[in-house]
Amino acid sequence: MKFKTPLTLAALVISAALSPAVHASEEVLVLGVNDALTGGGAVYGLPQANAVQMAADEINAAGGIKAGSITYKLKVITSDDKANPTEATNSVRKLIDRDNVKYLVGFCCSGSTSAVASFIAKEDALMLVGNAAERAITAQGIPNVFRTRPPADFTGSAAGTFVAQKGARNVAVIGALEVGFYTQYVDAFEKELNKVGGKIIAKEAFGLRDRDMTPQLTKIRGLKPDAILVVGYVEPAAFVYRQAVELGLNVPRYGFTSGSEEQFLKVVTSAQMEGVWDLRPTELTIEALGPQAKAYDANYRKKFNQSPTPSSPYAYDQVYVLKNAIERAGSAKDAKKVAEAVRTLPIPKEAVMKYMANDGSAMFDQNGQAYTSNGAFQWQKGKWVFVSELPSDNKAYSQFLRSIRK
Amino acid sequence: MNEFLQQILNGLAIGSVYTLVALGLTVVFGILGIAHFAHGSLAMFGGYLTFVFSTSMGLSFFASIAMAMPVGAVMGMLIERLAYRPVRDAPHINAFIIALGLTMMLEGGNLLLFGADQVIIQTPYQQVFDFGGIFVAQLRMVVIVTAVTLVAVVTLLLLKTKTGKSVRAVAQNRHAAVLMGVNVNFVSSVVFAISSALGVAAGALIGALLALAPGVGESFAVKGFAVLILGGLGSLPGAILGGLVLGVSESLAAGFLSSAYKDVISFLIMILVLLVMPQGLMGKK
Amino acid sequence: MRRLITKPLMLSILVVAFALAMPHAFKSPYYIHLMTLALIWIVLAQGQNLTQGFVGYVSIAQAGFMGIGAYISTLLTMNYGVSVWVTLVIAPLLTGVMAIVAGYPSLRVKGHYFSIVTLAYNMVIFIVLMTFRALTGGEAGIPDVPRPSELTLFGHVFSFEGRSNLNYYALALSAAVLATIVCALVLHSRAGRVMLAIRQNEDLAEAMGVITSRYKLFAFVMSSILAGLAGTLYAHYIGFLNPEPFGVDQSLNIILAVILGGSGTLAGPIVGAVSVTFLPELLRFADSFRLITYGLILVVATIFLPKGLVPLVTSLWRWLRARQSIPSDNKPTSKA
Repeated sequence: MKFKTPLTLAALVISAALSPAVHASEEVLVLGVNDALTGGGAVYGLPQANAVQMAADEINAAGGIKAGSITYKLKVITSDDKANPTEATNSVRKLIDRDNVKYLVGFCCSGSTSAVASFIAKEDALMLVGNAAERAITAQGIPNVFRTRPPADFTGSAAGTFVAQKGARNVAVIGALEVGFYTQYVDAFEKELNKVGGKIIAKEAFGLRDRDMTPQLTKIRGLKPDAILVVGYVEPAAFVYRQAVELGLNVPRYGFTSGSEEQFLKVVTSAQMEGVWDLRPTELTIEALGPQAKAYDANYRKKFNQSPTPSSPYAYDQVYVLKNAIERAGSAKDAKKVAEAVRTLPIPKEAVMKYMANDGSAMFDQNGQAYTSNGAFQWQKGKWVFVSELPSDNKAYSQFLRSIRK
Repeated sequence: MNEFLQQILNGLAIGSVYTLVALGLTVVFGILGIAHFAHGSLAMFGGYLTFVFSTSMGLSFFASIAMAMPVGAVMGMLIERLAYRPVRDAPHINAFIIALGLTMMLEGGNLLLFGADQVIIQTPYQQVFDFGGIFVAQLRMVVIVTAVTLVAVVTLLLLKTKTGKSVRAVAQNRHAAVLMGVNVNFVSSVVFAISSALGVAAGALIGALLALAPGVGESFAVKGFAVLILGGLGSLPGAILGGLVLGVSESLAAGFLSSAYKDVISFLIMILVLLVMPQGLMGKK
Repeated sequence: MRRLITKPLMLSILVVAFALAMPHAFKSPYYIHLMTLALIWIVLAQGQNLTQGFVGYVSIAQAGFMGIGAYISTLLTMNYGVSVWVTLVIAPLLTGVMAIVAGYPSLRVKGHYFSIVTLAYNMVIFIVLMTFRALTGGEAGIPDVPRPSELTLFGHVFSFEGRSNLNYYALALSAAVLATIVCALVLHSRAGRVMLAIRQNEDLAEAMGVITSRYKLFAFVMSSILAGLAGTLYAHYIGFLNPEPFGVDQSLNIILAVILGGSGTLAGPIVGAVSVTFLPELLRFADSFRLITYGLILVVATIFLPKGLVPLVTSLWRWLRARQSIPSDNKPTSKA
């Protein structure tokens, strides 16, 4: 386990003991991280948990959260939901019932997050969702659920426009299509492609555990596409990229996978990845974001001895959203009041991701959804390079989101 | 036509891995009557071990396998001695339940020792050959050749050596073999040693071609049994034929029918064969 | 039948009374939640025991049938507006029908072949549930699965909403009691005796003229009906349904529960189910340790305690009582 929770606790105790007796109203605020710490989703969940810990340590080192007359020091508890909805239900129940947690962060994976979202409305808690991209999570408009990551189809349509502009007219899709939000991405992508007269000529599927996609790729090769779109988790997607090369499929490869360079290089060589695109939210790539991101990257590397994954800042930003909201609300006791504060909160200055403001310069729209800009990234000589922004209209999407329920 | 041949070729590589796994299963099942379900997880252990040898000791791919195989053989013998031998005379189902328990232990052990992230064994065989539109990855050829070699070696071992004769004697009739002075305990150990060594090699090939991760071992064990049932339990040529047939069928089905239901195909084949032709393609009973 | 009105029955009534009183003592919503799950597991384990313990055929498909029951009930209630009270009866029965279809051909094979085929069934069920998104919602699942509607009995309104609901707990308890009673009835009936004979020596039973296939199928179908009931209770309790809980790993856990408790007994599955639900809570281990521990228990139990915990306890009990009565007579006591 990489969390320095015992260390943090010791640090808290020592600093509490050493601080002057004047700070009488100092309380410990427990933050519950519910994420996939093991299993297939851990590639997204573990970095998020790390990011939360890092943010909490930073806040505590800077004096904690000052709300009204109370100063809160953060204590982070993590719980592994293994990206499994049943586990997630038990895990969050434990956090709420046994550990008295009111503030839940993390949530990398859609299946487990949806399970929690289906009962969280009845709880005295506030839930901040990260990497999970399933649209229904915020489409339902649950008052105590907020998400820092935009729904997959928000990015899908921007990606479709981009690929259409690049001239592709016959695109073959291969992806984890049994997962709802990937299909949503593809559907939005397809809509844009159709507008210019292009079409999707194949929709092949693979599962999270699959590693041999040569049958699907061979079939695609026979259809002679002018581009392929790969949507799915990092681990199987890496194999798709490698096997495409092994089968001589020499067409532009566009993807929606959000993996770090390290994660890809475990499976596929840099030469084989050359030229691959990743069309996703403008997640952590240093050139694309500002000094906040550079600092985040450096600190994360120092603390955890590995580079942060592109989507880990969603969780980092959650903690700062909470900090600012609690300070605005004046207290952390009432989760409902804090939720109201979140709803009108402007984008925190400590945020790493680049968010697009909603009505009234609020970070979250009426469904509790935040929007990061979308970007086109390309693998060039061993690194993901930010090439251009994908124009996206978050206000229009927000209206669309309001009009649906899932 | 090109695509059809390509699918077949793709399927042969994975099929040869299935054959290797099935071979390990069939020697134990055919000779000792044990449905050694834990074989898949043991194969994974072998694969992880190969990875460790090749990364931490800088050994070449094959040298790492060569080092891992004896370790696997020893583990197999230990498992036989400690877990299966005590229930040798109990109802067969007890051995199967022990196999399930061993599977959990090995999966847990692998998780503990090697973590939950997927592990891929790097090899220097990265070239791709183009035969008029049909692409063959060098790694896939290496996998097929390795599997074929190992199968040949084991077959020779069983047919030509004295130990092999004892093993076959036990397979035919255990009591008679005992009467003829064959040391059944020794044979049991040998069978497990061979089976586990093969398993280690299979695991290493899976680790190079695909990836090692929690759960992969179980799925290969099930496919191994599917091959056994398809080829005929206890039949060596059946395991060979069955493995290739399964690999190619999966590839063709995924390519021409539906990739989403790819895994279902192997299970359906297994269920169908068990019900219609229980002795398999080349089985005896 | 007179044998039923004995100490085991008294003991059972005590246990049920205790189970009813428990939530009022341990008020923690989290423990009520766990106990509700344990009760659902008891239904599953009793079902598994019918094939594994009584007939001696280890099925690795129990979790798959649980999933079938869960989805049938969920789809009927959510897409066709059927009341949960009705699906609590229909879904298990429909699961039984599916089991006939699956069981009829597969019971033609024996021993580990049967187990492997059931393993394949479970995997097929799981893959279909995951992939057939149009029907099942796939991995993303189906949210907002409804609770049973309110009941008005004797002027009281019983609501089943809300987490850690005591009325739902009572409902699960009733199901667990029902499952145990059903198994008890089967065990003490002629069918039960035939099943046990099949477990002892199937060839001999067949030679005696028993049409073993009928009894095997009966056990298999009954077992899946109970699995379907457990699945229905589970889906409407958790409120969110997706295929994850119905994979092969869960079936292996169920087998473990039955073996641990004692296959072939009535109390065994209860002990096993409760242990398997609470063990992960007591041993707050990482996954790897839990797997190793479970596996080790399975191996050790099969080698040294092939009959499970409950028979061990009853043997011990009888042995202790036998020792107590030695002074009163000279005869050696009956074997424990």
